[in-house]
Amino acid sequence: MNKLLKNSLRFVLFLLVQTLILNQIEIGFGIQLMIYPLFIMLLSFDTGVLSLLAISFTLGICIDAFSNTFGLHTSSLLVFSFLRPVIFKLFDSREGYDLLLEPTVLNMGNGWFIKSFGSLLLIHHFWFYLLEMFKLNDMGYVLQKTVYSLPLSFFLCVLLQYLFVNKQYTK
Amino acid sequence: MRNFIAFIKHFRNVLIFALLQGIALSLYFTFVQFPRTQYLTTAASIQGSILEARNGITKHFNLSKNNVRLQKENIELLEELPKSFIKLEGKLVKIDDTLHRQQYEYIPGIIINSTHSKRENYFTLNIGSSQGIKRGMGVFSTNGIVGVIHNTSEHYAVIKTCLTKKLNTSIMLEKTGQQGFLEWDGVNARKGSMTGVSNDLKIKKWAKVVTRGGGGIFPRGLPVGKISRVEVVEGESLWDLTMIFAEDFRKVQNVYIIKNLLLDEQRDIEKQTDYEDQE
Repeated sequence: MNKLLKNSLRFVLFLLVQTLILNQIEIGFGIQLMIYPLFIMLLSFDTGVLSLLAISFTLGICIDAFSNTFGLHTSSLLVFSFLRPVIFKLFDSREGYDLLLEPTVLNMGNGWFIKSFGSLLLIHHFWFYLLEMFKLNDMGYVLQKTVYSLPLSFFLCVLLQYLFVNKQYTK
Repeated sequence: MRNFIAFIKHFRNVLIFALLQGIALSLYFTFVQFPRTQYLTTAASIQGSILEARNGITKHFNLSKNNVRLQKENIELLEELPKSFIKLEGKLVKIDDTLHRQQYEYIPGIIINSTHSKRENYFTLNIGSSQGIKRGMGVFSTNGIVGVIHNTSEHYAVIKTCLTKKLNTSIMLEKTGQQGFLEWDGVNARKGSMTGVSNDLKIKKWAKVVTRGGGGIFPRGLPVGKISRVEVVEGESLWDLTMIFAEDFRKVQNVYIIKNLLLDEQRDIEKQTDYEDQE
């Protein structure tokens, strides 16, 4: 399928699922399920930082417009996409990446995905809750929210990939 | 100059990141104070219509509960109608009342989108400026106050609810009349706090908290909550009061928006005293 078409379809799906379904789920303990960072994660390895930033700004603004957060999601998603190449470089294997692949859990294996996506999502969540609270007194509460939400969001992201994304094979 | 261009090229990514981040953060911090445009909130027509379509499905989940609630309210109102009273004296007639003049009008609305677990929670309403909704109008439901209109478009509006850091509404204890302000700590959607109450008078547990009606947004005496815990603020002569909200914001769907018919008159006369103070 055409790459652009596939990604725009994904963009709309992520936006709708996040805003219409996941934003309405109340688990308690301040847990919020956030899967939209997965969209940025799934863009193929050859996507440059600038296009990553532009895409994440657009997606973030759209999500903010639907959930009345005025730029909170945008800011944390920008951090996510800015650090994506840095983290990828950090966990690079000796051969380097196949640039045409998408960094899904199926393509790259569980260990790599947990390391890279896990740390990126941790930074994203921490930044999000830190900005939302914006008070150093509430650091405990920020950490609590991060620690509770992170595993659930992560698990949901992995589950979605096993359900909907196929493994890519390269020549 | 060449050095400068080289510098820009070298740090291009960082600069673009900082620029976009700056836009996002400035949006975030200014919007909480004052919304300049409705396009980035759920008051905008695209977001509003999508959320309304979703609400078309999910509203039925609480249908029976809401029916019971509205029925209860109807019964209360019916009981106040003249026809539910027996005439004890045949000669009494109802005459046109000139002692009272209507001050508040109520516009019904339905909440089509809501959040409760964020630090600042906003609800979206299915009516907007074409139905007479303006920024700063109060919103309440059968059980108690919900919030204040923050932002409107033609057909939708966004409510700043009690579940935000500070809804600048003055509230008071019903019996003793001590005033305070409504605040929310962002943890529990059922519990808020009342600040600025001096601790010279004792406060009973489960004392009712109602609106003070000073700002012309809410009428006096709308229920807000009940005091559930009383503690002293250390080093200050103030009470730290925790209250349980009268309204469960996680369930509320049908609300009323308050239109104060005498608001302009009140604002005008308050403005005059401000001028006198300055002179």
